[in-house]
Amino acid sequence: MRSTRNVVKREPNPELGHYSDPPLLVLASLSGGPKHGHAMVEDIARLCGTRLGPGTLYGAIARLEGLGWIEPLEPEDRRRPYRITGEGLRIFRAKMATLQQFVKAGTERLEPL
Amino acid sequence: MNTMSARLLTRLYPRAWRQRYGSEFEALLLDGQGGLQAGANVVWSAIREHISPTQGGRMNQPSYSFLNLFKIPSAFIPVAMSLSALALVLVHIALYGVAREADEGATAHLWQLLMAGQLPVLAFFAIKWLPKAPRPALGVLAVQACAVLASMAPVFYFNW
Repeated sequence: MRSTRNVVKREPNPELGHYSDPPLLVLASLSGGPKHGHAMVEDIARLCGTRLGPGTLYGAIARLEGLGWIEPLEPEDRRRPYRITGEGLRIFRAKMATLQQFVKAGTERLEPL
Repeated sequence: MNTMSARLLTRLYPRAWRQRYGSEFEALLLDGQGGLQAGANVVWSAIREHISPTQGGRMNQPSYSFLNLFKIPSAFIPVAMSLSALALVLVHIALYGVAREADEGATAHLWQLLMAGQLPVLAFFAIKWLPKAPRPALGVLAVQACAVLASMAPVFYFNW
């Protein structure tokens, strides 16, 4: 998964920065149910305060679809919803487990300070 | 974002990408607030897509529909030439009637040029598109053949 710098930001707290890994954010959004592009942008903004730019979002969608982690559904008008695949869900769970371990380890290191 | 800006920004992406995502991407741009930041984000992403195109999934299997293929110049130009030839014949009939003339006039020469001139374009289309997309290419060739027959029909019917 490629990291990203091209994110149109709307940060709730500029000092804390924002989480920015568009493919993971797209997987997180789609794990809550199928969505089209605009709904994903809004959902991700609610999730973590990051507002993905349209190019960044579709860069992530194209790559995730190429990997078979998400799949397109029938278009509604011109908007096409996507849903996460079984493989995508497995990857998302694995990534979340890694992040949980990271959070746990980081929190433990912070405790004595 | 307005329709014109959305269309222009989408045109920055490579053709294969646009064929797959163009329509829905344009819809997303129209839904969004737009602005300079979003525009810059699209420009930068389009440049990256040119440098490092998306691989895999449906990007490697471009879907050519009949209508997509018909928008290609080598598909519609022969049809336009045949229809022009037919229009020439019909205008000639309207002006001068159906009587056979002793000498071939300018209309006949133009008709011959239009009919012969489309042959290399037809051949180019068949060679290029039949292996890539046989079914829609055959559909386009059928339309081209119908247009040719339509323009030739009056000539044979009136035994010119």
